[in-house]
Amino acid sequence: MFKNYIKTTFRNLWKNKTYSFLNIFGLAIGIACTALIFLWVEDELTYNHYFTNRDNLYIVKDQQTYDGTTFTFDATPGPMAGAIKAEIPGIKNTARSSWSDQLLFSVGDKSIYDYGCYVDSPFFIMFQLKFIKGNAKTAFDQLYSLVVTETMANKFFGTTDVLGKSLKVSNKQDYIITGVVKDLPENVSLRFNWLAPFQILENQNEWMKDWGSNGIITYVEAEPNANIANINKQLYGYIQTKSPETTAKMSIYPMNRWRLWNSFDTNGHEKEGRLKYVNLFSLIAWIILIIACINFMNLSTARSEQRAREVGVRKVLGAVKGKLILQFIGEAIFMTLLAALFSLFIILLALPSFNTLVEKQLALNIFYPSHIGGLLLITLLCGLIAGSYPAFYLSSFNPASVLKSLKLKSDSTGLIRKGLVVSQFAVSIILIISTIIIYQQIQYAKDRDLGYNKQKLVYTGLNSNMKRNFSVIQNDLMQTGVVENTGLSNSTVLQLGSNTGDFEWPGKDPAKQVLITLEGVSPGYIPTMGMQLSSGRNFYSDIRSDSNNIIINESLAKIIGKKDAVGSIITRNNGSEKYTVVGVIKDFIYNSMYSPASPLILYSDTSGVNYLNLRLKQNADIKTALAKVESVISKDNPGYPVEFNFVDDEFNQLFKTETLIGELAGVFAVLAIVISCLGLFGLSAYTAEKRTKEIGIRKVLGASVGNIAGLLSKDFVKLVFISCIIAFPLSWWFMHGWLQDFEYRIQISWWTFLAAGLLSLLIALFTVSFQAIKAALANPVKSMRTE
Amino acid sequence: MIKIKDLEKIYRTEEVETIALNKLSMEVKDGEFVAVMGPSGCGKSTLLNILGLLDDPDAGSFIFNGIEVAKFNERKRADLRKHNIGFVFQSFNLIDELTVFENVELPLIYTGVKSSERKKRVDEVLDKVQIMHRRNHYPQQLSGGQQQRVAVARAVVNKPKLILADEPTGNLDSHNGNEVMEMLTDLNEQGTTIVMVTHSEHDARYSHRIIRMLDGQTVLENIMV
Repeated sequence: MFKNYIKTTFRNLWKNKTYSFLNIFGLAIGIACTALIFLWVEDELTYNHYFTNRDNLYIVKDQQTYDGTTFTFDATPGPMAGAIKAEIPGIKNTARSSWSDQLLFSVGDKSIYDYGCYVDSPFFIMFQLKFIKGNAKTAFDQLYSLVVTETMANKFFGTTDVLGKSLKVSNKQDYIITGVVKDLPENVSLRFNWLAPFQILENQNEWMKDWGSNGIITYVEAEPNANIANINKQLYGYIQTKSPETTAKMSIYPMNRWRLWNSFDTNGHEKEGRLKYVNLFSLIAWIILIIACINFMNLSTARSEQRAREVGVRKVLGAVKGKLILQFIGEAIFMTLLAALFSLFIILLALPSFNTLVEKQLALNIFYPSHIGGLLLITLLCGLIAGSYPAFYLSSFNPASVLKSLKLKSDSTGLIRKGLVVSQFAVSIILIISTIIIYQQIQYAKDRDLGYNKQKLVYTGLNSNMKRNFSVIQNDLMQTGVVENTGLSNSTVLQLGSNTGDFEWPGKDPAKQVLITLEGVSPGYIPTMGMQLSSGRNFYSDIRSDSNNIIINESLAKIIGKKDAVGSIITRNNGSEKYTVVGVIKDFIYNSMYSPASPLILYSDTSGVNYLNLRLKQNADIKTALAKVESVISKDNPGYPVEFNFVDDEFNQLFKTETLIGELAGVFAVLAIVISCLGLFGLSAYTAEKRTKEIGIRKVLGASVGNIAGLLSKDFVKLVFISCIIAFPLSWWFMHGWLQDFEYRIQISWWTFLAAGLLSLLIALFTVSFQAIKAALANPVKSMRTE
Repeated sequence: MIKIKDLEKIYRTEEVETIALNKLSMEVKDGEFVAVMGPSGCGKSTLLNILGLLDDPDAGSFIFNGIEVAKFNERKRADLRKHNIGFVFQSFNLIDELTVFENVELPLIYTGVKSSERKKRVDEVLDKVQIMHRRNHYPQQLSGGQQQRVAVARAVVNKPKLILADEPTGNLDSHNGNEVMEMLTDLNEQGTTIVMVTHSEHDARYSHRIIRMLDGQTVLENIMV
């Protein structure tokens, strides 16, 4: 019996090669696409799973509320880690860490910047780093010790056998390598190539001993059975017991949520972060699979008249309905298995591009239980979904009528088929509209007037003597003729790092704190950036003369509330520090590209600056200009490789997530429409074939090729039209919701819908017209003879 | 073998009600060869479908081999059918995707005959209808006469008590037609009951008895001598 089914299946496949190909190819694309998305989803869902201890690991979150708005940070005070471990039960271990930073390492004539952090030694045990050389216990016994990854060891020494070797850091201090750890995989939250004792940093920065300065990360390992709610209860007011005037409320946040949640609203409540997209893409994966299954259903029910006789004969010979259902579902599963094999090739071909797109190193390993199992599950499900409807439909034929070749009642299947085509196209149109809107939104945000000119604006990190010799370097740079202006700053312009809530001014409600961003700059900063002063003046070039003067932005000026804020006095630390506003600059956008500018104070102080900003001349060729700049800096500041960052590149990087979403939506839209069109192609071929006789008669009676092609295309065009009616409100609703995440956002315009509708109509028409024209051109005498 | 009383079958569409069988009664005895004749639309095919358990009557009684089957459900009908009835159609109704051998084998598969036994019986019957040399060909590679011989082989391979033939020579030339009729006669002589619907007076003469139908009723019976 089974053999007989396989035979019939194979021969049927072979006999209808075109349909089999359309079916299998469509299914294969669907399965491949679903598999790729699930690879991505798997990677996201297993983020940080490398850390076997992850259920007990936490990061300390710091929440501060200003004027009803709660901000959530990872920044904590330095003394906290040691204190909470000692005082709060349930905390097993704590470790401080600096933010990942780039330092210059040198050995021999090799000088390379590399990323890493300063951490406390419990870090090794908490995150269970795997030591290849050295061990966690003794690695940080000496102050200037260094633990590096395999990659970094190989980069500098070509081997991991590096214990006891030393690397010079920032051309100053030698660090001895005391450990080599295995590289961490891509999908973890920690990024480092080196780790050094936090103590070094603490010795250099007095503020790290202060309970009021939140500037480092604190990791916590809880006891396995610890009552986390209880720990959080104690942490809530903990900082106030040490430093009453602070506002920071602490809590610990589990590692299992770092990747997919880790987002907080203005009330300080956790909300979905990346999980939103993981869920969305999983949904899209299923939808694409269903679209592919729909093709299968449509093509098999449309071709059912061909199989009707077989069903009739089998029934006459004693087959019962159940057996036939099994036969047809079996056939569908067999087809999907073929499609799955085919999809493996598609996956292998598409994986490199897909990896580039999502910036991951995903790999399909069919010996991996979850991968082979997942693929089989998808295939089986696909076969069941695709095969069930045709199976029930085909097996319900009455043998008496099909064997007499009576006309089949096709009304109901015709309607279902149309419904399925409509849903396929509705999904495609929704995806097209979403893609357009996402790109519009990204472009809109990118085109936003930032309040400064990001073109030909580059920056480089400052080291060692550059700060001290700045006037010489600046002079030499101006001499090159390619530099228009230079300025120093604490932070990069896109990401201003430091803020505080303790400024006061006359007329301010003392109960309300205003969170103000602080940025120390040199006098050249504002002209270099191309920022505009709306009133007052820039800092004088002699820094000392402006040591008690500040420049604020318009949004802070508005909060202060005076018509002209220039001349206002702003105080800090209970009036012990007094500052005079000498200028107001027009708002420029920083930190969040979708929000209005938050209040900002610029102060004239280069003691904490880290970056040299350069405005290249508009007519300068970037490559030669940078070469000149590099030679000047290398000459004035030897021993440090110079690395440039382009503000406009980094600006574009800020849209990575949105761009990825847009690109994926675009890819899915194309796939959905391709699969739908494969189905449409098959269906139109079938319709044309079925109406051969009618077409012949019409032609004999004088219909033109255009008439006929129109006649055959009309029905399909109607379906796409209905799809539009369904898709438009749905996609408006989706995208309206998506846009709510952005304060600075586009208005959805009607032409987006029109364009998407027209596009899908054109694609559908193109697909259908191929068959329609072919049928219309056929010789009517021949076509009339076919029945 | 077959006893029918007051059988009714009515086809309804939204506007029209067609009475296909109107209180029809008839009887077929074991070993008989009966021909059913009548103009198009008189209910011949409906009758044959009900006799073949492919369709159920709206009213009346149908006793097959002493069992009332008019109210049987699909599963029971299929079971009864596959063990007792063979079909021969005007348009042969062979499955294009299966070879001659596989087509004839099909009824044996559905009745659960073992593979070795199947091969023996199929070869036997193919030999009998002289189509052995074509056993691995596909239906479309055969002439009409050959296809109908395969169909007859398929109808008899399960050794049914009853063969229902629906215009078995309708698509054949006279030479091939006669051959098929000879085969049916042979089968009848070996004890198989045959009910055949036909338009051909010539073919009807092979039977023992002709039932003539009009408007869903039997109007005349000719006993052949």
